[in-house]
Amino acid sequence: MSSFVTITFAYYEPMNTSNLVSTESRRGSITSVGMGITLGSHLTPIARNYIETADVVFAALSDHVVELWLERLNPEVRSLQPYYRPGKSRMKTYREWVEVMMTEVRAGKRVCAVFYGHPGIFAWSPHKVIEVARAEGYEAYMEPGISAEDCLYADLGIDPARFGCQHLEASQLLFFERNLDTTGHVILWQLGVVGDRSLGRFKTPDAYRELLVERLCQDYPPDHEVIVYRAPTLPIEGPHIQRVALGDFVSAEYTGHETLVIPPVQALKPNAVWRARLDALDAIHGSGFEPAVTA
Amino acid sequence: MRDTVELLEAIGRDANLRRASPEVLARALEATHASPGLLELVAKGNSTALTTELGIGERFGEHHSQTGAHEDEASLLN
Repeated sequence: MSSFVTITFAYYEPMNTSNLVSTESRRGSITSVGMGITLGSHLTPIARNYIETADVVFAALSDHVVELWLERLNPEVRSLQPYYRPGKSRMKTYREWVEVMMTEVRAGKRVCAVFYGHPGIFAWSPHKVIEVARAEGYEAYMEPGISAEDCLYADLGIDPARFGCQHLEASQLLFFERNLDTTGHVILWQLGVVGDRSLGRFKTPDAYRELLVERLCQDYPPDHEVIVYRAPTLPIEGPHIQRVALGDFVSAEYTGHETLVIPPVQALKPNAVWRARLDALDAIHGSGFEPAVTA
Repeated sequence: MRDTVELLEAIGRDANLRRASPEVLARALEATHASPGLLELVAKGNSTALTTELGIGERFGEHHSQTGAHEDEASLLN
């Protein structure tokens, strides 16, 4: 087979379903959708349709190229990026996002709020705007998207069901007394702003990540291998996967968009007490094992 | 010259190209008259030219507060 690949531009003509929609007077509505992570690869058909048929699209995307793509799907895109400002609490920004979106819903518009990844993961405004809209009697939904977590499982070959998987925003380890389950994977998010209590910084100095490592070394040896991971936003890139010793994490290549994956350091320990309780139940209800064949 | 955003979308949904080697991808992009910035990003991993071509700037990606930071401490601990 030739290694040369041609790029084709498939054209998809969707069935016209507009006559299936009720013609009664429209009230405003809002749907939060996820753009996925990788441009062109992850947008779901239903999210795409919400975007293409919206009167107004609000965009909170981490990659400017993806926002340019979004503008091709619907020219009525309003970027939420200008609301950010260094030194301004992000919570204030997020509340402003909710308000500007609700203004359009109240004006009777069909609004689509587009967030990168999954709109309901590590995102305050999509949940809040749905809560506010429903409280005011408007239709409001969320459609899931492919998240960075989904990409991580695929790229690193981790099945969260095998040993379990504990996800935490990294700052919680410094703000609260959290217990880590070192027999499963521990995955830490929002490393770029770890330790920031002001909500006004977009990146904290390396010293804050050094403090995080100090906290993690209460549960793990400093030579425990961890993975610094970043999913690709452009389809011409691969994932960033860097394996380093926990103690060297701060010196790893770091843009602020990475996630820290800590593999298990201890083996799962059988629980004799609850296994004995299961034995008692099996004695009553049967064990489910296939009967042994006697000769 | 091919439209860069349109080209990226096409690559993103093409099973042959999404995981293609940089060499295969570079040949495919040259054949479709991709922009110099996109070619440089694929060949050298340098996004400077593409950034200029598309007029793109830095983006902020955090959409969540830090749980326990000053504005939601009370709601968590009460």
